[in-house]
Amino acid sequence: MGLGKTLALKGLTLIIVLISVLLFTVLIIGASGLSDRILNSIMNEELRGIRQKLTTQIRDPEELNKAIERIRQDLVKAYGLDKPWYARIPNMILRIVTLDLGSAREVQTFTGSNKISDIIIERIPNTILLMTSALIINFILGLLIGPRVALKHGTRIDRATSLYSAISYALPTWWLGMLMILFFSFQLRIFPFGGMYSAPPHEDPFMRFLDLLWHVMLPLITLVLALSGSWIYITRSIVLSVAQEDFVNVARVKGLPEDLVRRRYIVRVAAPPILTNIVLGLAGSIAGAILTEIVFDWPGMGTLYYKAVMSVDESLILALTYIFTLIYVLARFILEILYVVLDPRVRL
Amino acid sequence: MSFIRESFSEFWASNISKIGILFLTVLVIVSIYTVVTLPLDFGVRYWYNPLYWVDYPKTAQPEWINIFLSEKLMSHAELSVSKASGIKTYNNRFIKYYNVSYNHEYNQFPKFITLRISNLLFHNRDSPPIVRFYVTRPDGKTVELYTLAIETPSNNVIPPFKYFSIEPKRILLSGDMYLARSLIGFLYREFNISLGISSILEIGNERIIFGYISGKNTFAPLTGRYVFSTVLVCSDVNDNIGMVNVVLGGYVYGLMGTDVLGRDLSQGLLFGFPVALIIGIGTSLLTTVIGAGLGIISGYIGGRIDDFIQRFADTINNIPLLPLLILLSFIFGGKLWLIILVLVFFNWPSLTIIVRSMVLSAKTSQFIEAAVAIGASRLRVMVKHIFPQVAPFVFAQMIFFTPYAILAEAALSFLGLGDVTMPTWGQILEYGFKNGAVFLGYWWWILPPGLFIVYSAITFVFIALGMEPVVNPRLRRWK
Amino acid sequence: MLLEVSGLRLYFKTLRGDVKAVDGVSLSLDKGKTLGIVGESGCGKSSTANAIVRNLPRNVSRYEGKIYLEDMDLTILNEAEFRSKIRWRRISMVFQGAMNSLNPVLKVGFQVAEPLIIHKGLRKEEALKIVEELFRLVGLPPDIVNRYPHELSGGMKQRAIIAMALTLNPDILILDEPTSALDVSIQAQIMNLLKSLKRKLGISMIFITHDIALASDICDDFGVMYAGELVELGSAEKVLLSPKHPYTQKLLSSIPRLHSDKTPEFIPGAPPDLVAPPSGCRFHPRCPYVMDKCYRENPQSILVNGSFVKCWLYK
Repeated sequence: MGLGKTLALKGLTLIIVLISVLLFTVLIIGASGLSDRILNSIMNEELRGIRQKLTTQIRDPEELNKAIERIRQDLVKAYGLDKPWYARIPNMILRIVTLDLGSAREVQTFTGSNKISDIIIERIPNTILLMTSALIINFILGLLIGPRVALKHGTRIDRATSLYSAISYALPTWWLGMLMILFFSFQLRIFPFGGMYSAPPHEDPFMRFLDLLWHVMLPLITLVLALSGSWIYITRSIVLSVAQEDFVNVARVKGLPEDLVRRRYIVRVAAPPILTNIVLGLAGSIAGAILTEIVFDWPGMGTLYYKAVMSVDESLILALTYIFTLIYVLARFILEILYVVLDPRVRL
Repeated sequence: MSFIRESFSEFWASNISKIGILFLTVLVIVSIYTVVTLPLDFGVRYWYNPLYWVDYPKTAQPEWINIFLSEKLMSHAELSVSKASGIKTYNNRFIKYYNVSYNHEYNQFPKFITLRISNLLFHNRDSPPIVRFYVTRPDGKTVELYTLAIETPSNNVIPPFKYFSIEPKRILLSGDMYLARSLIGFLYREFNISLGISSILEIGNERIIFGYISGKNTFAPLTGRYVFSTVLVCSDVNDNIGMVNVVLGGYVYGLMGTDVLGRDLSQGLLFGFPVALIIGIGTSLLTTVIGAGLGIISGYIGGRIDDFIQRFADTINNIPLLPLLILLSFIFGGKLWLIILVLVFFNWPSLTIIVRSMVLSAKTSQFIEAAVAIGASRLRVMVKHIFPQVAPFVFAQMIFFTPYAILAEAALSFLGLGDVTMPTWGQILEYGFKNGAVFLGYWWWILPPGLFIVYSAITFVFIALGMEPVVNPRLRRWK
Repeated sequence: MLLEVSGLRLYFKTLRGDVKAVDGVSLSLDKGKTLGIVGESGCGKSSTANAIVRNLPRNVSRYEGKIYLEDMDLTILNEAEFRSKIRWRRISMVFQGAMNSLNPVLKVGFQVAEPLIIHKGLRKEEALKIVEELFRLVGLPPDIVNRYPHELSGGMKQRAIIAMALTLNPDILILDEPTSALDVSIQAQIMNLLKSLKRKLGISMIFITHDIALASDICDDFGVMYAGELVELGSAEKVLLSPKHPYTQKLLSSIPRLHSDKTPEFIPGAPPDLVAPPSGCRFHPRCPYVMDKCYRENPQSILVNGSFVKCWLYK
């Protein structure tokens, strides 16, 4: 019993979740008729291309039409459009699970590929860069400030921090981004309006790096300002409630030095619930990152999703929804592992 | 009862709570005012109807910005006259004058000039009236602006003839060719300047009407008194014009300015208040009721029901909200009930899980045993005994969830997936962002909607903060 | 005289004013003896214990008095000295509510061994060996060392906590309601354990409880607290068989007895508000023998027949 079994169970739950989400997405797309629409439009595109090619070969219009019709029948069978949408589900799921994601309609990679997997591979690092930096900074801020403020509960610093957290929570990340651009880019002209690199990009790698830093500043500051508040508040609250537990008192009376009490009896005990809250807040962070990317035109997964929705690109939307869920589920799984390691009470 | 009183005094003790309640009161008052003054279908009827805003200035800043500027920006002006100021006769014809004057104090040109005439009444089928528009400038010179010929009415209409009563006749003078040609003559006659029609159109009709020559082919704004004269030449003394409007497009308008379509932002922003309240409170109420209810049932009844609810909640918890929300809004179209539904569906699990663990520990207390021993039904125990234990926490959660709902709806609207039948702050921001307001410095379009979002969210956050010591007695103040 | 406390005061701040939790308490403890401190809830007995081990709340407003351990004045020691010399080595404590006294994320053995590692500088393995011995002493199987607190029953947790208190072989062990959270059979086991420890180790104890019957089982001396003051202090025999203070008398007669038909009496009135205690003698509103003087002046503690009493009935 213990670690291994707990983790195996958690893993199973998450796999069930992933499959459920996938099923749900596929069902929704199928039942709403979207699936038929997608396949029909793809098929018609292909048909049109074939017709163009055939027109140069077959002169007689009747022959042409008959040939097209035959090919159409074949295509219908190939795409599975002759069957109801729910018969296509197993195939669809299999395709997506094996990450055969298809092609996007309008979006392209920098090298001109239409394949969705290529596009995603190109964009993910950008998102990771932005999100991870923001996450790390927020994490450090939360751990540095939260416990310290908690131990000064009731003082002015504590109340100022609560106020800051409240305002930070109520501040929409994307609006803050707009304000930043309005003030720092439009008014003061210190930072660029958006994007990841200047156009044309620098040749010298060091200059490129500085250029990147210059571009990442505003979105990063926005993310930190908007999200640090709730992080700090959560760590503060949890540390506060742990610090009031009896065993912390006992530790002091036992004669343990204060910093040891802080480390082993407060922070260590507060770690699992803080972690839980990080997990809970992960969805919010993803949302915040997506919105911030859009405002700053940062070429990551967020803007990709936005463009997909705006241009009504069904296959891209489907693929991205799946990828997001996948990443989310994986992240949760990793954090659940950490949680079980830290809190022995959760083990079976 | 005293528990409520004690809780309330604890809540009231901190300043933050008082500020929260104050903010909330303001929110409610403004919402009530909005619901009373604006129609419920304001969105469909006015906001999303571009025709309604045609005569409004586009991207105008708020009026009060002039307080801070040394060179004042021109206010949008809408002049109207509905009574003839004079009447003359000439050759069996009657000539009625409708005059309205305007004092131009600004160092700018109007952005556009529009003439509107409504309720033209005439009696003689064979000689319909002629309407002419003139303006006399501060320097005494007069420009002929436009001549409106009235069509002969068809034979199956009986006199008296009423034109432009349902829809006023609108004449946009800016860019009008007829006026441009008239201006060629005007410039030559009065200033001895020869300009071709393309130059006139390039400079702009309104600059010439409202300007004087300040350099080679450049005009500077002419300040002073302008009199707009509408002349009705008619054959019956009872022929009449109901109303003439002269719209001079300004640079500032109203309390909050206008957007790129000319929409009065103050109205749109106002409408956002009740919508935000409904979305916020409605969503959080539903989520709390479902989440807490299921948590109590799950925790108290236990067994298979508990397992099922917990598995279900755990699964939902693992689904990222935004991508699916986007997907659903995309498929079904942005509708208010859909947004609320999805928000509720994805957020009740976290409450259920916490409430369940609270119920589990409350379940073992002795007075529960006693109640069961007396023979209380399970429902009764849950409602009368368990629920009061978790009520403070649940109530605090509800308050805390409200700003989340408000922010979520705003974010969705920003992505363009909001409910398109009613203007919300998020939608105003979405439109602004799409139209580049951020990059063009239209601060009055970007700042207020966001500020209002923050304001409503903060109201509930403050109240929730104030409830913290009530819910967690160990945090009560001793100072 | 192992421990001598005089004039101990502990007040703390609240919204309504200062709570005078401990207001001028003086007591003494002899080596190898057990002193019981009894009284109603909220009378200040736990606060007295906390005051002795300097476990002060954040909102403390007044903390004064003299505490002598043998001839060392504890009150003049600064925090660092108190921590390194006194805490756990000379005085240790078992708190009310064993359920929450253990850190949930650390193994039980480790927590019990911690004082040995911190104070005596032992290596973890050595310390754990000693802990195993201690567990044997308190009747716990030695493999508990590797368990987590949530895996232990209430009684086992309490034993572990007692073991933890004995780690550094302190001179004085203070126990604050060590059995109130346990059911009666476990309670009996723990009491037996304490009695056997008293016999085997000769440890001096201060035993705080509201249960007089329980205290009488183990205590040599008795102190009765009321409204932050020690109203009677003497040997168990004297206090239990011939109580002098009206409150003690009322308290004793409220205990139901197994072999007697007498109905237990109750004390009319309610415990006093420690922010604004009654003037004069704090018991006067509920005292059956109240006199004029009781309203005005708070009696001094005087020695009567070998016991200390704070009552105007005695001169």
